[in-house]
Amino acid sequence: MAKIPELKSHHIWAFCLILYLIPVVVPVGSPFQISEITLKIYNIIENLPEGSIIVMGGSGVFAFDYEPGAAMIASIKQMAKNKLRLVGIPLGMESLQLHKYVVDTAKVMQADGGPWKYGVDYVQLPFIPGGDAALVRLLTSVQSVVTVDANGTPLENLPLMKDFRSYKDITLWICPHWGYPSIVRYVTGERGVPSVMFAHAYSYTVYAPYMMIYPDKVWMTNGFLGGAQYEKLVGFKGLGHAAVDSYTLISVAYVFFVVLGNITLLTRVKKEEEEAEAKK
Amino acid sequence: MISTDPWVWLSALLTICSYTLLYGDNPLFRIAEQVFVSVAVAHSVVMGITTVNTRFGPLLTPAATPQLFITLILGLMSLFVVWRKYAWIASIPISIMIGVGTGLSMRAMMRTDLVGNLSTVIMETSRIFVGSPTDQLGYFIRVTFTLAGLVYLLFTVFIRGPVSKPVGYIRTFGKYVFLTYLGLQVGNDIIMFQGLVTSAVVRLFTTWLGI
Repeated sequence: MAKIPELKSHHIWAFCLILYLIPVVVPVGSPFQISEITLKIYNIIENLPEGSIIVMGGSGVFAFDYEPGAAMIASIKQMAKNKLRLVGIPLGMESLQLHKYVVDTAKVMQADGGPWKYGVDYVQLPFIPGGDAALVRLLTSVQSVVTVDANGTPLENLPLMKDFRSYKDITLWICPHWGYPSIVRYVTGERGVPSVMFAHAYSYTVYAPYMMIYPDKVWMTNGFLGGAQYEKLVGFKGLGHAAVDSYTLISVAYVFFVVLGNITLLTRVKKEEEEAEAKK
Repeated sequence: MISTDPWVWLSALLTICSYTLLYGDNPLFRIAEQVFVSVAVAHSVVMGITTVNTRFGPLLTPAATPQLFITLILGLMSLFVVWRKYAWIASIPISIMIGVGTGLSMRAMMRTDLVGNLSTVIMETSRIFVGSPTDQLGYFIRVTFTLAGLVYLLFTVFIRGPVSKPVGYIRTFGKYVFLTYLGLQVGNDIIMFQGLVTSAVVRLFTTWLGI
C-alpha cells in the first residue's frame, strides 16, 4: 500500500495562504443566498423617511469589528443614497476607529465625492466612557453627556445635533460591535428603539436569542456572509464578497485535510495492529 | 497602483511581520507584537487625555454643571489607587461605580435576559403545535434543547426516587446539547478568524499594492 507522505505544518500554512490570496486576485464569485433577515434589515432602512436619524454605536475591539464592518459600509452607502442621517456613538475605546474606517471606506462624504456633509448628515461623537451608566444618561439627554464631537467642535454648532437630543429622536440603532447586549437591554428593551446588529460569525450564535425575545425590534446579520448579502442588496462587491470566496476555497481545503488526516491515522493504526499481531 | 503613503507601508509591513509567526517564532514577529502592544497602550493614554479634556473642559466655562464637579472629584479620588497608603480613598469611587453598574444592569438583565428568555420559551412552546411542519420542528428543537440544557445545569439538585432515572436521561441529553452548542461556537469562531485573515489580505492587496 502506498505510503501517505508526512505533511509539515509549514506546508499546510503555505497552501492555505495561497488559497486566501486566490480570491483577492481572481474573484471566484461563490454563490450565496440572501437571508430573510438581511433582506428585512435592508427594507427597513430603505423605507425610512428622509432625514431619519440612525445611530451607529456600541463598544468593541477594532480588529474583531472589522467583520461587521462589511455590512456597516454597505448600509452607510444605502443611508447616504436615501438621504438618511447618521450619528456615530463610540462606547468603547476602539469603536471610534471603526466608525472612521467604515465612513471613510463607504466614501459618502462630500470630500470623497459623496452626498453627505459633515455636521448636517453625519456627526461623529467622541469616545464616551462610563459603560452602561453613560449610555442610559445619553439616551435621556445626549448633550448632558457629551458637549463636543470627535473633532472638538461644540455640538450646538452642528445642525444635525439640534435634532438629536434623546432616544426619542433615534429611528434605528445599528451596532457593529461586540457590546450588543447593552444596546438590546437599554435601547430596545427599556426604550423600544429598534436595533440591528451586524454581528460577527461568533457573536451571532451568542446573541441570536435576542431576536427571539424581541422578534419585531431586533435583527442581526451573520458575519462576513451577512456583509456579502448586504453588499449584494446595495449593489457592490466589497470585503464581504472577498471573505465568502475565501470561505468557499478554504472550507474545501479543510475538508480535504481532515479526510487526508483521518486516512493517514487509520492506515497507521492498521499497520500498528498488524505489527502487534506479528509480535504475538 | 502601489501606495505612496508611508503609514500604509508601515501597516502592511507590520501585518506581514505578524503573519510570519505561522512559520515559527522569529524576531520580525516579536517586533510586530511589541509595536502592537505599545501602540495599544499609547492609544489608551491619548484617548484618556482627550476624554478628560473634552469632558472637563466645560468646567472652565459658565455652562459648568455641579454634576461635572462631582465626577471630577470622584475621578481624582480613583487615582489614589496607585498610592498604597491612601488607596482606600479610591475604594469610594470604585464602589459607587460598581453599585451604579450593578443596579442598572440587574434591572435591564432581569427584563431582557431572564424574563424575556422565559417568556420566549413559553411562547415558542405554544407554537410547536401550530404553523408549518418546518417551523414546528424548529420550535420543538429550540424548546427541548433549552429545557434539557437547563436540567443539565442543575448540578446541586440530586433527585432521588422513581424520577431520578428519567431526569438522568434528560441530563445526558442536556450534556449533548451543550456539546452541540460548543461545536457550533468553535465552527463560528473559525469562520470569524478566517474572515479576519481575508480582510488583512484584502487590505494588503488593495490598499498597499493597489491590486
